[in-house]
Amino acid sequence: MSNVIINRVAEFLRKHPPFSFLEEGDLLSIAQSVEISYLSKDEWLFHQGEAARPHFFILKEGQIMLQEAGEIREYCDVGDVFGILALLGKRPYVLDALAGENCLIYAIPVAIFEKLLEKNPKVSLYFAAGFAAGQVVFKADLEKGQEARMEFSRKSEDHSLLIFSGQSAFRISKNVLTCQPEHTIREAAQLMDERQVSSIIICNEQGYPLGIITDKDLRSKVLSKGISPDKSCSEIMSSPVITRKPDTAFADLYLSMIKNRLHHLILTEDGTSESPVSGILSDHDILLSMGNSPAVLIHALNNASTIEEMAQIRDRAETMLRYYLENEVAMDFVAGVMTEINDVIIQQAIAFGKKYLSKDYPEMEEVPFAFLSLGSEGREEQLLRTDQDNAILYGNVEADLKEKTQEYFQQLGSYVVEAMLSCGFSACPANIMASNADLVLSLSKWKAKFSEWVLHPSPEALLRSSIFFDFRVIAGSLALGDELSFHVFEEIKKKPVFLNFLAKNTLQNPPPLGFFRNFLVEKSGEHRDQFDIKARAMMPLTDLARLLVLYHGVSGINNTFKRFEKLAEIEPNYRELFTQAAKAYEILMRMRAIEGLQNGNSGRYIAPEKLGKIQRQLLKNTFGPIGELQDIIQVRFQLDFFRS
Amino acid sequence: MSWWPFRPEEKKESFVEEYLALFKTPIPSIRKINQLEFIVLDTETTGLDVKKDHIISFGAVKIKQGKIRVDSAIELYPESSKSLANTAKIHGLINRENLLSPMIFSQKLLSYLGSGIIVGHHVNFDLEMLQKISSPFGLKSFPNPHLDTLDLAVRLEYGPHINWNEIPMREFGLDQLCERYQIQTEDRHTAAGDAFLTAQLLIKILKSAETKGIDSFGKLFR
Repeated sequence: MSNVIINRVAEFLRKHPPFSFLEEGDLLSIAQSVEISYLSKDEWLFHQGEAARPHFFILKEGQIMLQEAGEIREYCDVGDVFGILALLGKRPYVLDALAGENCLIYAIPVAIFEKLLEKNPKVSLYFAAGFAAGQVVFKADLEKGQEARMEFSRKSEDHSLLIFSGQSAFRISKNVLTCQPEHTIREAAQLMDERQVSSIIICNEQGYPLGIITDKDLRSKVLSKGISPDKSCSEIMSSPVITRKPDTAFADLYLSMIKNRLHHLILTEDGTSESPVSGILSDHDILLSMGNSPAVLIHALNNASTIEEMAQIRDRAETMLRYYLENEVAMDFVAGVMTEINDVIIQQAIAFGKKYLSKDYPEMEEVPFAFLSLGSEGREEQLLRTDQDNAILYGNVEADLKEKTQEYFQQLGSYVVEAMLSCGFSACPANIMASNADLVLSLSKWKAKFSEWVLHPSPEALLRSSIFFDFRVIAGSLALGDELSFHVFEEIKKKPVFLNFLAKNTLQNPPPLGFFRNFLVEKSGEHRDQFDIKARAMMPLTDLARLLVLYHGVSGINNTFKRFEKLAEIEPNYRELFTQAAKAYEILMRMRAIEGLQNGNSGRYIAPEKLGKIQRQLLKNTFGPIGELQDIIQVRFQLDFFRS
Repeated sequence: MSWWPFRPEEKKESFVEEYLALFKTPIPSIRKINQLEFIVLDTETTGLDVKKDHIISFGAVKIKQGKIRVDSAIELYPESSKSLANTAKIHGLINRENLLSPMIFSQKLLSYLGSGIIVGHHVNFDLEMLQKISSPFGLKSFPNPHLDTLDLAVRLEYGPHINWNEIPMREFGLDQLCERYQIQTEDRHTAAGDAFLTAQLLIKILKSAETKGIDSFGKLFR
């Protein structure tokens, strides 16, 4: 036996459902039974009507086309499982299988797998659900993939850290639903349904708790066992119950839930089961009301008096972010919350900075300014604490004050940049930060700077300047920001050819799929064989969205996916494509953030083989809109005839 | 003991006799490639000197009917005087349970190989190293047909008439070939890992050989 080889095979299988649901031992026994074969393009794997082989298949490399009378019914991509319907149904293949590309195929003997199906309900459910939906291939497209990912995503990890760190105000339900042991199960269930709660406590006449019935009990003790709902509650309730006093420290309450694997903890007046029920605490309530609440965090930030305090709160926000991402909370909400938190940090840092500088520069209090965030924070989509990009814009001042004003805002900028660094944001390697004297400018200088970019666009200048076009006022005078935006649009109107340069720029990164539908990975350097999700997938979409909103003169929408949603409104004939692009961008943001959280880095580089099958497919699908949009740009801006 | 002037003819052990008996009937040259059994192997050694160095591990996997049979994969760890002498000192104790005496190793090896076609990348080196372990038991050489994936790749890319001086050998390392044939290289430099890569390389090369008319044992060994 060779463990190296079996593990290698198992590692591939493990990334793909249904194998991902298997325990290690079962997975290895499957891996050991695999037979690997290779088909060159246009070879047949099986024909319609042939008796099912004693194997089913999972595609390791390449693409298989399932056809009916020469018409393609389904594509199988890497990780897809197929040929199983015929096997389990013990009937001939219903489709022809032709290699669309050179394929490496893993064949798995059905005999071994059938045993697992019996043993592992999750696996049989996976297939049963697929068959019921008429699936021949077990795969995932963009929409379905998202659903599937939610179904199968790992449960979020322990959030207890978060709970112990703060003086979080948790909520104990005082108004507890109870019934008597003589009540029928049906009555109890009806009460739970009316009140929309997940548990009911069974009490005696004095209100002392005897037992508890939860949603789960109804499922596992009543429905699945076929017990009549007309029986009394006492037959199925969990009893005896574990009780605590309501004034127990939260950490203790929570710990007793964890230790006893309780989803619900009953609180009684004196903490024993020989006293009336006074409340109930569910783990659901805990997740909702504990640190996982943006309101709590933002409130805490607003009340923070030091930068260190803000740094701690920002760390907690990251735990919340992780929870949101793993639970597939809508991206516009997630991005909105994180942007708000980041914005508050910056606003607070500015307030601290102004206070710090007020003694030396009392006359500067009145000078209007705007603190600009550029790049991802400017676009309201910075989830992780990646590079900060920012700048300061101040109102035009009298000539004699110019020098002092410049000095003041440069110091303010440096203060904020340092505060951001303390809160865990990285420095911008290109030094696009408000501590850089070149980026702390008066309104007229900023106008001139943008005019220069618009009037003399060179590819290099565009590459560097494009993130400036995503500026957003975080603090200070919104009017100043508006004036600058207005100026930019006027300049572009005067010299529309600027957009052609910008368009040319958006075509620099083609969709990152290679000839073999593999990911284009970095060829050398530290990130060799990793996929640069930022540069190769996100930036092209960001650039495309920016170009098109500038083209349509839309201002005030910075977020890339919101830009695409707006574009879908403006150009209804491309509605579908823009919607897809918006969705693709959301998926990319989510993936990058999850990757970054898992590895404690920017999440920018992803090793494609480490991704699960569904993730990989999702990622590939996000590249679709890039190519299509680039084709539109190519035509719309006549880039074939355009020389830069 | 190579310095000994009177090297007695090693007596063949019975397992060696049994193994050698397998080769009485040669493989017919018209046998189709997908009917052949290949044993793809690799060894991890202490160095490249056949005289001085020795095998640390041996890994192999079989290809039958064109399919890599994962269930046939094996790893063997032969013990050697050198590894015992050196590693024992360093670690004090070494895990000896898994180490096979030359005799047991040879028995397992020969019964695994059978009369299949031996395949490896630089396969002659591996065979020389393996032969060294088994020679005390009377094995002078492996009569199995053997195939070097390096030669086969060169032949496919440069045609049948090869001037070896013109071949950029650097492009035919296992890493380079895996890259060219789109094989993910992981577990490099473990014997079993390399054997697995070589096996994948082989089924890909054989497929492309087939398109050039190389479809039988005879044509493969031309």
